[in-house]
Amino acid sequence: MHKSSLLARLCLVGAVVASQSQCAICLGEQSQVDFNRDIRPLLSENCFACHGPDSATREAELRLDQEEAAKGDRGGYAAVVAGDVALSELVRRIESGDEEERMPPSETGKHLTDEDISLLKRWIAEGASWSPAWSYVPPKWLEPPATKESEWNRNWIDQFVLARLEGEGMRPSQEVDPVTLVRRLSFDLTGMPPKPEVVEAYAADPSDQAYARLVDEFLASPHFGERMAMMWLDLVRFADSVGYHGDQEHNIWPYRDYVIHAFNVNLPFDQFTREQLAGDLLPETTEDQLIASGYNRLLQTSHEGGVQLKEYRAIYLADRVRNVSQVWMGATMGCCQCHDHKYDPYTARDFYSMGALFADIDDEWHLRNPSGEVGNTSPTMRKPEIEVLSVYQREALSELDRQISSLDSHKDADQIAKLRQQRDSLAAAKSLTMITESAEPRKVRILGRGDWQDESGEIVSPAVPSFLGDISPDEQRANRLDLANWLTDAENGTGGLTARVMVNRFWALLFGEGLARVLDDFGGQGESPSHPELLDNLAVEYVESGWDTKHIMKLIALSSAYRQTAVADEYLRTRDPLNRLFARQNRFRLPAEMVRDTTLAVSGLLVDELGGRSVRPAQPARYYQNLNFPEREYEPDTGSQQWRRGVYMHWQRTFLHPMLKALDAPTREECTAHRPKSNTALAALVLLNDPNSVEAARAFATRILSHDAALTDNERIDFAFRQAVSRLPDDRQQQILVDLLNESRSYFAANPADNEELLKVGKSPVRNDLSPAELAAWTTVSRAVLNMSETTTRN
Amino acid sequence: MDESQSISLQRQIFRRTFLAQAGLGLGSAALSTLLGGESQATSASSLGLPNLPNLPQQVKRVIFLCMAGGPSHLESFDYKPTLEKISGQPMPESYTQGQPIAQLQGQELIAQGPMTKFGRYGNSGQIISDFFPYHRQIADDICIIRSMVTEQINHDPAHTFMNTGTVISGRPSMGSWINYGLGCENQSLPGFVVLISVGGRNPQPVASRQWSAGFLPSQYQGVPFNSSGDAVHYINNPPGVSSDLQRRVVDSVLALDRHRQETLHDPDLTARLAAYETAFRMQTSVPELVDMSDEPQHVLDMYGAVPGDGSYASNCLLARRLAERGVRFIHLYHRGWDHHGDLVQHMNTCSNLTDKPTAALVRDLKQRGMLEDTLIVWGGEFGRTPMFQGKGGPGRDHHIKGFSMWVAGGNIRPGTSYGATDELGYNAVENPVHVRDLHATMLHLLGIDHKHFTVKFQGLDMRLTGVEEAKVLHDILV
Repeated sequence: MHKSSLLARLCLVGAVVASQSQCAICLGEQSQVDFNRDIRPLLSENCFACHGPDSATREAELRLDQEEAAKGDRGGYAAVVAGDVALSELVRRIESGDEEERMPPSETGKHLTDEDISLLKRWIAEGASWSPAWSYVPPKWLEPPATKESEWNRNWIDQFVLARLEGEGMRPSQEVDPVTLVRRLSFDLTGMPPKPEVVEAYAADPSDQAYARLVDEFLASPHFGERMAMMWLDLVRFADSVGYHGDQEHNIWPYRDYVIHAFNVNLPFDQFTREQLAGDLLPETTEDQLIASGYNRLLQTSHEGGVQLKEYRAIYLADRVRNVSQVWMGATMGCCQCHDHKYDPYTARDFYSMGALFADIDDEWHLRNPSGEVGNTSPTMRKPEIEVLSVYQREALSELDRQISSLDSHKDADQIAKLRQQRDSLAAAKSLTMITESAEPRKVRILGRGDWQDESGEIVSPAVPSFLGDISPDEQRANRLDLANWLTDAENGTGGLTARVMVNRFWALLFGEGLARVLDDFGGQGESPSHPELLDNLAVEYVESGWDTKHIMKLIALSSAYRQTAVADEYLRTRDPLNRLFARQNRFRLPAEMVRDTTLAVSGLLVDELGGRSVRPAQPARYYQNLNFPEREYEPDTGSQQWRRGVYMHWQRTFLHPMLKALDAPTREECTAHRPKSNTALAALVLLNDPNSVEAARAFATRILSHDAALTDNERIDFAFRQAVSRLPDDRQQQILVDLLNESRSYFAANPADNEELLKVGKSPVRNDLSPAELAAWTTVSRAVLNMSETTTRN
Repeated sequence: MDESQSISLQRQIFRRTFLAQAGLGLGSAALSTLLGGESQATSASSLGLPNLPNLPQQVKRVIFLCMAGGPSHLESFDYKPTLEKISGQPMPESYTQGQPIAQLQGQELIAQGPMTKFGRYGNSGQIISDFFPYHRQIADDICIIRSMVTEQINHDPAHTFMNTGTVISGRPSMGSWINYGLGCENQSLPGFVVLISVGGRNPQPVASRQWSAGFLPSQYQGVPFNSSGDAVHYINNPPGVSSDLQRRVVDSVLALDRHRQETLHDPDLTARLAAYETAFRMQTSVPELVDMSDEPQHVLDMYGAVPGDGSYASNCLLARRLAERGVRFIHLYHRGWDHHGDLVQHMNTCSNLTDKPTAALVRDLKQRGMLEDTLIVWGGEFGRTPMFQGKGGPGRDHHIKGFSMWVAGGNIRPGTSYGATDELGYNAVENPVHVRDLHATMLHLLGIDHKHFTVKFQGLDMRLTGVEEAKVLHDILV
């Protein structure tokens, strides 16, 4: 039995869970000051660095991160005296005219504004109520609030959103038009634009039932797994290369198939967690669970000559702790590599104790030469690896078997032979993939200041952060499986926190921003959620549904909140410019992979296959010229592989494909929970001039010219528009494109050599039954259509 | 909140979104239109932070000449006669006990004396080795720092440390920091350009992490200019598309987007419109920049540059052209300085490729009056051991406790040296200069107080100079 559950611990602290309410930024009339919303961020930002959890830098033995300490007697006075502003030393010091006395000291660069000071005084005057940090309090189901208007509410999510809006005297935005809605839903759940026939069908019958069916269809589509994998692969820093120095490739792609498949079959998130952190420790481990355990091998590794074993042992430990704490706990434990956390209750001991949970991972072969001595060899070893067929390769194999067995061995002998051949070559095409194997655990010491050469630190046992619980109550050595169970145990572990972290990310997938905006920091320096009760209910729902990811995605997608327009009127732009209250949807540029997928899908080039090795679309020649050990050339795929979805693209950490990089895809050196969505000139150059973009425009033009139902220029532009943005152009848009078409026609008619040049771009065959000048002119129009912001934006 | 407050908040947010999303440099006119009264907060020709510079600005730009691989200080600027005396004998353990060691781990450590001669040059009498004859011409222009220390002993983390002040991935490079703070003076070129030369020997890998914008907005990332193919990826029109036709495509995209903006009023879309304008301008300005046909032969000869060859010499000349056009941070890499063995032969190769153009760059900037407002930094990610390593003929392993770099330009005292290592060239013992100090000094020269140049990331106030003490090297400044 666990000695102390999270709840029990928090009770020990004597905390009363105050109702957390309102949003992080205060838009309307101030009511009572709320500690977590208004005060904790001020204390954290301005005080905790010297008066917080880190004992090494604590000044005057004063802690302001704990209620007893802040209110405790300091020999006749106290920092905070509830209800008495005049007696509170804190107030005297922050208002002091004496430079020496005033807090925070000027050399810290911190500064309290007059508003901050009056807020702190109000809080003390109102009784200085304290509440524990919101994210560590286990989420509890709260009855959804009643709303004045009830017609708008489709499920309880809406009740929380609407109640908050009504409190502010605001109203939700109107429902978006059906075309935009189906397009939004398609991007959010499959990462691809909707097929025009799907749009048409829904636009003809935009009923709630039809919408619900659409949600189910998209969730059931295998593209759902691909879409979710984009998020997950960023979090766990999945890449095809080692990252440091020579950035050599490593074998791990079957792990990606595992992730896509796991989301597609809706593997409960707790099991998903166990299989990745500890797939090798599960009873009767399956091949897929071993592939999943490759999670522990995803970190950057160095294969540089002259690396020092102990140094990299420390680097890898720190990398793993940073990742697991960010991905599952929304914690920035990386700070504790050198010292206790400045803002959150994590200590350096917690950091190394967490690291010790990974100390059994057998992964030092590349740091030693074959004789077992410290040193390096080239090419370096990556074992333990196993040879596997990925889950989707195995599925393809079963499908072939099924087909073969369904045929008549006499009548269909030829076909059977052909299928057998396919089957045998597939079965033989096994790939290596890195996995986790457990070995004798290394000793883990607390490293003073993170210095790997310091061998004076205490040796620690594997443990989770002590303020959150204990997973080795019987003094037995805890392992990765214990960690995984603890992370997903809402009763006795920290599952409530994990659930909050995850549902917040699901919300962000469907709204562009989380309910808590900082997706990977639920600590004091993150932001508390705008709708804490809603976040809690979603977390509880997630746990109680059995960690059913599709269920939560569906719940959010079905809400009225989700279906609002993303266009903000002047009032909303002024009143809530960051859209904290969700009185509208958000519009944002698609992530890099989806920009690619959209371009390929619209142009008709997309090769829509599930799973498989990483693929290599064209990239600039000699892009890897600055890599070495060994020197290498990128060899682009020449077959159908080059037109597969972005999620399958080869991920070279140090030289990410320029398209991915320009559109803000992360290098995956570290956990990325929130990608920036920039609009840069380099991105514009990609969409305008990258041969992949130009080839797609030519393929799109070919489609347009081959479409029998569209014969006039206007009809063809209608067709193009509908493919690209799911709707018809208005007169002005028609006119702009007709003008461009006519000018392009004149240009290519006058410069026949140029149209040949343009049409040669790319590797897909050029249709020779079309007039080259006409094809070049339409390629130009297609470039414009594919470059429109609407084409690459989720509205 | 009353209406005026909320409008002010909206403006701030708009400005923040806009700055975060905008393309490279945007004209001040456009900016003032977009930001209304707020444009005064932004300096006339850049998108830097409104509160910077906050110190007198001594230099406007930086050219960082990175000698990747770690050139030997003991064969360039740090002459150690005592090391010569004990050459071939075991290195005293008092130096090496408990110290980090790279490839010499587990091997016997033998002292290796200097492998070349040194002389005193210029009116200042700077000590420079015979591997660098052209540096004699600039002896009176540079300040040699002989007491550099770093914390990382392997190439990749050492570069990352030199460029970002930390070894953790995902942090901005100094060029990104500086552009974020000060903006770029040129609206049609990136503010942070990276030039990696070809030629030399077994080159160090250099990762794009080294010019990453990290957690800063993407437009502050370094843009590598390529010596072959497109100078910048996708900078040229597609084959068969004339500049006029390209303009028409861009104009059509802009017209379609503006039409949509009439209903959206979205700051993101405004940023996108600006990005397309900038992209089109870059398509003209970049080819014009890399076309060196307007350089007279005597200038090409001074550098030893053959335009288009991708050499360090051509990149030095390109660096001058970028500096002339207001590019803020120009980062050159010459790889091949990792001399574990055959040091003499490889030093000759590297110095033949870099010595003359480096001197030419300093002289050229000086005669154009640009050295006054340009900081030039020369050096590797670390130095090399006083101990022998023998991969082939004699060489040296990585060394981080003391090495040399030089700086020049602005109000740096020319013709001087600073700091010293011990008599064996192992530890920096006099005025040690940490990488952080170099960063602090660089920012100081650019008019930025490094202590108050912070960006919030993961709840922390991040600085290029980190949390440890970093000092501005006032002693090397006039």
